[in-house]
Amino acid sequence: MSDLAALVVQQSLNGVYLGCLYVMVALGLTLIYGVLNQINFAHADFVTVGAFTAFFAATRFATKVLGLPDAAGYLLSIIAATGMGAVLGLAINAAVFAPLRERGDELRPLIATIGVSVLLENAQLALFGPIPYQFDSPFARETIRIGRVFFSAQSLLVVLISAASIGALYAFLRFTFLGKALRAVAQDRETAGLMGINQGLLIGLTIVIASALAGMAGALLGPVLVLSPFAGASVIVKAFAIVIIGGFGNMQGTIIAGILVGIIEAFTVQYLGSGLIDLVVFVLLLAMLVVRPTGLIAERKEENV
Amino acid sequence: MIAALPWLLSSGYWRGILVICAMNVLLALALNLVMGYTGQLNLGQSAFYAIGAYVSTLLVRSLHWNFWVASLAAVVAAGFLGLALAAFAARLRGHYLAIASLGFAVITYQVLVNWESVTEGVRGLYGIAPPVRGTVALFYLVAGIALVVYALMDNLVRSPVGDTLRAIREDEVSAASLGVNGAIWKAFAFGVGAAIAGLAGCFYPGFVGTLVPDAFNIVESFTMLAMVIVGGMGTMIGPVIGAVVLTFLPELLRGFGELRLMIYGVALTLVVLFLPGGIASCFKRRA
Repeated sequence: MSDLAALVVQQSLNGVYLGCLYVMVALGLTLIYGVLNQINFAHADFVTVGAFTAFFAATRFATKVLGLPDAAGYLLSIIAATGMGAVLGLAINAAVFAPLRERGDELRPLIATIGVSVLLENAQLALFGPIPYQFDSPFARETIRIGRVFFSAQSLLVVLISAASIGALYAFLRFTFLGKALRAVAQDRETAGLMGINQGLLIGLTIVIASALAGMAGALLGPVLVLSPFAGASVIVKAFAIVIIGGFGNMQGTIIAGILVGIIEAFTVQYLGSGLIDLVVFVLLLAMLVVRPTGLIAERKEENV
Repeated sequence: MIAALPWLLSSGYWRGILVICAMNVLLALALNLVMGYTGQLNLGQSAFYAIGAYVSTLLVRSLHWNFWVASLAAVVAAGFLGLALAAFAARLRGHYLAIASLGFAVITYQVLVNWESVTEGVRGLYGIAPPVRGTVALFYLVAGIALVVYALMDNLVRSPVGDTLRAIREDEVSAASLGVNGAIWKAFAFGVGAAIAGLAGCFYPGFVGTLVPDAFNIVESFTMLAMVIVGGMGTMIGPVIGAVVLTFLPELLRGFGELRLMIYGVALTLVVLFLPGGIASCFKRRA
């Protein structure tokens, strides 16, 4: 393999790994948008809370209290972070989205979630302080080498877990009765209500799933991020860009756009420097809005969740 | 009444807060024209604020322009960029516009960080002289400008132009059927809103003395949004109330130490949940 080919393969792999992390964050945003036409600005902070939950579950609880080996501790911490995300989702649905849903306003829930975001960031600041934590995943130490391409066991784990979660979500939406009901709510909330579907329950369920994904993403991102109370903000702007590039509320579009942005980021780091990532991603976003404002995949309403 | 404020709050610290408050009033008024009256969800205001600050400072510094000429140029520059964003965003609505304008703010911020030969990047610019001597004089200057802007905007929204903007907010298609060119009027609102935010930006660096990109992080756009919503969107007095409340609230909560911004977050959420019309709606009901 030539040097250039090896480099391209290597950076593409890095890009897919990053992309999987972004997809996990962006999917939650797109799911909530699909059923509720709302943006959750506190989503970023759910990611951060997930990362902190995983950090303490892995380093303090699983290995110290339960005496588990490092690897098992990290896997357990991913489950803990997912659960924490689900709890936050329940809370924000009860506090913000459910009471504001009936008023049919796109602006106020958005502002209310900004308030929740400020609250969560500063609660974490009070609890954990501003100094970043070092979250080492035991899987990051193992390197796998194929030919001249290297990747860590951590990146393989991330790709596998995100593929599995996305697959499970897809199967849930496609093949279960509840998933079908959820798609019905996304398509037409009123008509779905008339068919006897409890839309409040299903919207709540969507927000819980979306937030659980954010928590899980936090656990997977923890070792990559500078783990501070404001860590999620660096990911969420990219997640917003991904959601738009993929088309708001469109799941396939979000997955493709997420991987694409990951790959673009990997090559931007290689050729232009890491300082320019956000610039490149958002110029792409604006270009996308000019050329195809509906996103990569043209909007078909029935595919919206 | 406004003239007496610097004597009521006579410590240097509180006088500084008064200047910030006056700048925030300008920023909230600017966003309210775009969002409250024209119904365009614009999260890019921090970019225009930044452009006002950087263009005016750099013109004074590198080309030794007079502050007022430089400020005029900065306001024009911010206004034209607002028009450019509007031309670009003409086809976008609601959340798409919100994220696109947010993207514009992110790009501006990144340019300020990365274009080191001009902006000095994160190192920042230091030793920037204020346009007038002393905090009190600066407060009178910015508050005076805010009053003039308020008066002009009050006239504007009560004129037929205001009716046109409100018609676009309520239903753009119906407005178009009555012969209103939505794209032109939205661009007008964006441009004026951007120019006013740029104007507020001209006074910021002289007041603080330094200029770093972090002062114009996208969080600033959210803060302006919060002021407009908490005060009462689409009313003239609402954003003023919002700017005053949200500038002073965190300061009054300083006694709570680390809990301060948590309370701020909770307060913001509660106002949205229980006072959907903002603080201004309380007065309206009574009157």
